[in-house]
Amino acid sequence: MSDIDVRLDNVSKEYGAVKAVDSVSLAIERGTIYSLLGPSGCGKTTTLRLIAGFEQPSSGEVLIRGTRVNDVPPYKRDISIVFQSYALFPHLTVGDNIAFGLRMRRVPRAERDKAVAEALNMVKLGGYADRYPRQLSGGQQQRVALARAIVIKPAVLLLDEPLGALDKMLREEMQVELRQLQQRLGITAVFVTHDQEEALTLSDRVAVMRNGRLEQVGAPREIYERPRTEFVAGFLGASNFFDGRVVARREGIAEIEIKGWRVQARDEGSAGERVRIAVRPERTWIGAPGEFPHAARVREIIYRGSSTHYYLESEAGPVLVYRQNDAPGQGAWQPGSAVSCGWAPESGVIVAPVDLQS
Amino acid sequence: MIAKRALWSWGLIAPPFAISVLLFVGPLLYLFYVSLHGTSSSQLYDSEWTLANYEQVFSDPFYLVIIRRTLITAAIILLLSLLIGYPVAYRIARMPVRRRTIAMLLLLFPLMVSNVVRAYGWVAILGRRGVINTTLRDAGVIDVPMALLYTPDAVVIGLLTILLPYMVISITNALVGLDPRYEEAAQALGAGPIRTFFHVTLPLSSPGVASGLLLVFLLTLSAYVTIAVLGGPQSKLLVSLVYDSVVSFQWPMAAALAFTLLLIALAISGLIMALIRPGRVQAGRR
Repeated sequence: MSDIDVRLDNVSKEYGAVKAVDSVSLAIERGTIYSLLGPSGCGKTTTLRLIAGFEQPSSGEVLIRGTRVNDVPPYKRDISIVFQSYALFPHLTVGDNIAFGLRMRRVPRAERDKAVAEALNMVKLGGYADRYPRQLSGGQQQRVALARAIVIKPAVLLLDEPLGALDKMLREEMQVELRQLQQRLGITAVFVTHDQEEALTLSDRVAVMRNGRLEQVGAPREIYERPRTEFVAGFLGASNFFDGRVVARREGIAEIEIKGWRVQARDEGSAGERVRIAVRPERTWIGAPGEFPHAARVREIIYRGSSTHYYLESEAGPVLVYRQNDAPGQGAWQPGSAVSCGWAPESGVIVAPVDLQS
Repeated sequence: MIAKRALWSWGLIAPPFAISVLLFVGPLLYLFYVSLHGTSSSQLYDSEWTLANYEQVFSDPFYLVIIRRTLITAAIILLLSLLIGYPVAYRIARMPVRRRTIAMLLLLFPLMVSNVVRAYGWVAILGRRGVINTTLRDAGVIDVPMALLYTPDAVVIGLLTILLPYMVISITNALVGLDPRYEEAAQALGAGPIRTFFHVTLPLSSPGVASGLLLVFLLTLSAYVTIAVLGGPQSKLLVSLVYDSVVSFQWPMAAALAFTLLLIALAISGLIMALIRPGRVQAGRR
């Protein structure tokens, strides 16, 4: 068991009758990136602000490195933060921006200058110390904000959608860079994002939030491949959902009947007869009629460069299939073609339907 | 396409531009021309060119004392309006929107009362038989009424109450427009409330401080009624001399004093901008 840098114990935050954060408990291990992922209004930013100390919990406890910090103001907490807007001080040079936290900690000048130079090199902006933030591009400003936050070596680095203002290419580049930097320095970070790909790319653990609650917490692969609820399955990438009835259960696989189809899905302790299952489109197969168990008809084909998306109509409802463009038989079907589809038993996952959740 | 748009925008600013040349720049140049001549008993000005008016303004102790008094009065008003106005603005800027709107309206409310009325209001308070003196005398604190009216202090108080709202509104607007994340970033980096204020909030509100100082300073220079009513003959400022010269038909001297005022306005405005450098926090535009 490694050190826990941040712990929330049953933390709630209420604004009048609205519960922005609802009984959240979590533990973040040293040297890992923990992502809070969810749609806007799910409480992820409020959770981050509770850790920062900009908000006080209505109930529950916030601990940083084992110390209860509920009543500790932000400037006395061992944290730093990077905002989506960066919030670089416009009246200070890049160097003075990065030195700000060190000055507040009364680090001697020589030591400060050395740390600033190091931090600038770390984010590949050596030689930019005398520029002003407005003279830098968005990506460069982002790096300065990051350097300013890590130069004080906080117990936990808080990232509030820090890459949200960058364009797609730059964002993907920065994701990799941020990940490398974090691993090299062994930083503990909390990363708030609504971008599921970003969360999967960057995180050691992902917590999917919905309505102020943690919906599911796990490693990226676990969250993506074994979603426990329909919401998680739908929010992280696309999923095919089917409603069916369990007719048999054996060794972790459930036999399910869906409107005349007989399918199999992984069963991890689901109860009751009526279930909803989710199947990822990239794990759904398409083939000539009879090749797979279920008959279907092609409604629409969308070419996406590296892959093709097939929208099928079947007696169990619509089915979406992603297929790599190097797969054999590509281009054999047209809208209206009769095809068949299916999936490996372990590709189906039983999920809790959204309409059954509180 | 671009040329056409440029033409359009020139076309749009041409009428106000023409009016300001015709009615402002032109007369100003004429005024300067007048200021370079002597006083004439029969004409608007004497035909001889001379610098005598300016020489007198900048060497005669009478004028120098009043220039000095004008500058000191303005400096005191600037300092007090900033020291009183900033905390008020800071508080108002942090109110919820509805309360902030009400507070701003309340600030504007005194401006709806004429300066003349307000000046006489101060006379009723500060005069020999004013509220303060009669109250203190009735209470037995003083025997002889204090000379509160017709002093530089009375002018400062009178102008301050008129000009303070301009300062408060300027700073409030700057603070309201400030992204709260700047202060949060400073706090996360270890700055407590006081250091956050002096290192981040104050510099970032400098455009509001600068515009507030400029407004208050320029309005102080051009205020007349308040100075005349509360200052009396002993506490005249430069603007009073312009008036005095005009009513005594010394047109060239009045013109020279007007240009002295303009010079002071330009110099001090430049000084305020140079000291506060509001441009450094106005990101985005270079």
